[in-house]
Amino acid sequence: MAGRLLRGCGEAAALRAMGFSEEQARRLLGLQPRLGPQRREAAAAQLLLLGLSAEAALGLLERSPGLLRMPTERLQERAGDLRRLGLGGGQLQRAVSRCPQLFTLPRRRMAAAVRLLREQCLFTAEQLREVLATCPAVLLEEPRRLHHHFQYAYFRMGVQQKEMVKARLFQMPFAELRNRHIFLERRGLYQTPHKGQTQTCNPKLKDILQLPEEDFLTSLASSTREEYEVFKKLLAREEEEEEDRDALYAEEDEDLDSEESKTAWE
Amino acid sequence: MAALGSAGRAAALLLLRRWRGGERLLPSPGLGPGPRRHRHRHRHKEKWAATAPRIPATRLALHHFDTSYSLQLKDLWPSVRAGLLCEQKYGALLNNFSPVSHVTQELELLNATDFVSEAPKKVQQLQCGAAAGEAGRGEGRSQEGSGEGRTVMQAETMTQAEMSPVLRASISPNIKCYTFPRGDITRFRPARPDTLGLLDYYLMDAASLLPVLALNVQPDDFVLDLCAAPGGKTLALLQTGVCGHLAANDISISRTKRLYQILHSYVPKEIRETVSVTSCDGRDWGQVEGGTFHKVLVDVPCTTDRHSVMEEDNNIFHRRRTKERQMLPMLQLQLLMAGILATKPGGEVVYSTCSLSPLQNEYVIERAVEIAETQFNINIHVEDLSHFRTLFQDTFSFFSDCRLGELVLPHLTANFGPMYFCKLRRM
Repeated sequence: MAGRLLRGCGEAAALRAMGFSEEQARRLLGLQPRLGPQRREAAAAQLLLLGLSAEAALGLLERSPGLLRMPTERLQERAGDLRRLGLGGGQLQRAVSRCPQLFTLPRRRMAAAVRLLREQCLFTAEQLREVLATCPAVLLEEPRRLHHHFQYAYFRMGVQQKEMVKARLFQMPFAELRNRHIFLERRGLYQTPHKGQTQTCNPKLKDILQLPEEDFLTSLASSTREEYEVFKKLLAREEEEEEDRDALYAEEDEDLDSEESKTAWE
Repeated sequence: MAALGSAGRAAALLLLRRWRGGERLLPSPGLGPGPRRHRHRHRHKEKWAATAPRIPATRLALHHFDTSYSLQLKDLWPSVRAGLLCEQKYGALLNNFSPVSHVTQELELLNATDFVSEAPKKVQQLQCGAAAGEAGRGEGRSQEGSGEGRTVMQAETMTQAEMSPVLRASISPNIKCYTFPRGDITRFRPARPDTLGLLDYYLMDAASLLPVLALNVQPDDFVLDLCAAPGGKTLALLQTGVCGHLAANDISISRTKRLYQILHSYVPKEIRETVSVTSCDGRDWGQVEGGTFHKVLVDVPCTTDRHSVMEEDNNIFHRRRTKERQMLPMLQLQLLMAGILATKPGGEVVYSTCSLSPLQNEYVIERAVEIAETQFNINIHVEDLSHFRTLFQDTFSFFSDCRLGELVLPHLTANFGPMYFCKLRRM
């Protein structure tokens, strides 16, 4: 009992030395209490090295206590990866504070997301940097959904990468983007540009995404809230039924194919 | 009419029929509920990046409407356009020939109400509220000495003469149609047969009932439904239970088959026998049976705006149907003239379309009134339906700027219509 108390005091002192207040140290010690002190200190140290304040680091660890169990080499490595992608200094701090999962994300997943954004979506390195700075959660997204999100903006809305970056495309959940876009489209206020058409009188993606809903409704859509609420419900139902139908026909196609190639989907 | 003489009359009709063109009448929106039921079968999933092989008729229709209706409806057009492109709202026309009480219970549990019977109640509440308010303020009305004036209770027992014109608006009796409230997108379950095999309700665009209600069918009226197929409005006419005789006509034999199916599914044999179904060209009617009917419904073929922007099949905006589409106003006029000629003096005609286009709506009415006057010596009075509109304005979104007749606009919160209707009295 006395031994434990002594150890506790020792740990607290070490944390105090790193820059945590007594209160903060106490909170930190409360996380994952069975964890060895070196792990705890090392993890906290890593975060401080990234430039996070004591409170920010603590907050991060409180939200994601799993980080304490990560080997510090991994934390370091990941921080390095993110820096290489262009997240430096304050951007990196903000990114990891907002998205602690950036640390725990499996390497392969992160690499796949980056590859997608560079090779399929054709964002330049500079553009990628800005996307990561503004929407770090992009890396956490399932690559297929990320691709779908991008393709929607590119083909369906006719928006180029430059505008996507400026408008912070990935900050808004896809469903909400789709609601706003299709609402405008059905009202006759947004048109998918024809092949080769460079100029349109479509509202800017930036405005569509960044205006709060009230302002979007009054200044872009010229509509009432009531109409938009009903529209969202109707669109959700359309989506649902579209998916059901696609699934149904996919099954039918499979049945037709099964005669020829059994192994295809086995 | 007599003044013209039969030879003169025949000549006038011949003049009208000079431009008689294609035979096919347009299909009305389908029987059942549910969006896009038929489309996906032949649908190819449009890849976003590829260009389609040809411009779909739906796109042509939408472009056409963007050009003309934005001028006509101005600020209202974006809302109407969105309404047309989203799933429409249905009403459930109750089948009075089938025991209805359990159905009404079921529907009321779901929060649906019969808009036909609710409408006058809502108006009365508003007016009683207003009347009581006024009396309370004691605005110089002389009462019997009791300082308070009329209470709400007393206001409710207003005499017929004091009742507002809105409440006095006469509508065809016994029609019951359930709809979900504004903003509620719940769908009705499919109709179910009762023990006798008759279906409990008929799902249709609730706005389609307005022309039938406006017709104000009275007991023992001889009623003509000139373009009856596929039969929703015909069924509604039968639901009044007061038609002395109903003649239901449609030029298309295949669509008349649908009409028969509806009659068989909803109406018992003894009532069906009071209906005579014919497959004639409606334009012949005036010649065949002039001045026979008390009430005539002329629900003409039109560009079926909602169908045209949603369904590729059977779409009048296909390039090969351009001539047919351009001839529509003439066809509509000829049909309306036939309907007028088939009406007894003192009788009434309701003309209706499911299009927003003034060329198919007000212009046809104006031309018909003019021709009736100048070529047939028939005096037509266009009835004022503004009270009728006020009565139903909570359920439907009406256009306030119609020169003649009334127009229900699709709106996301009340996605019925388009439906244009106009009532004419043959003097």
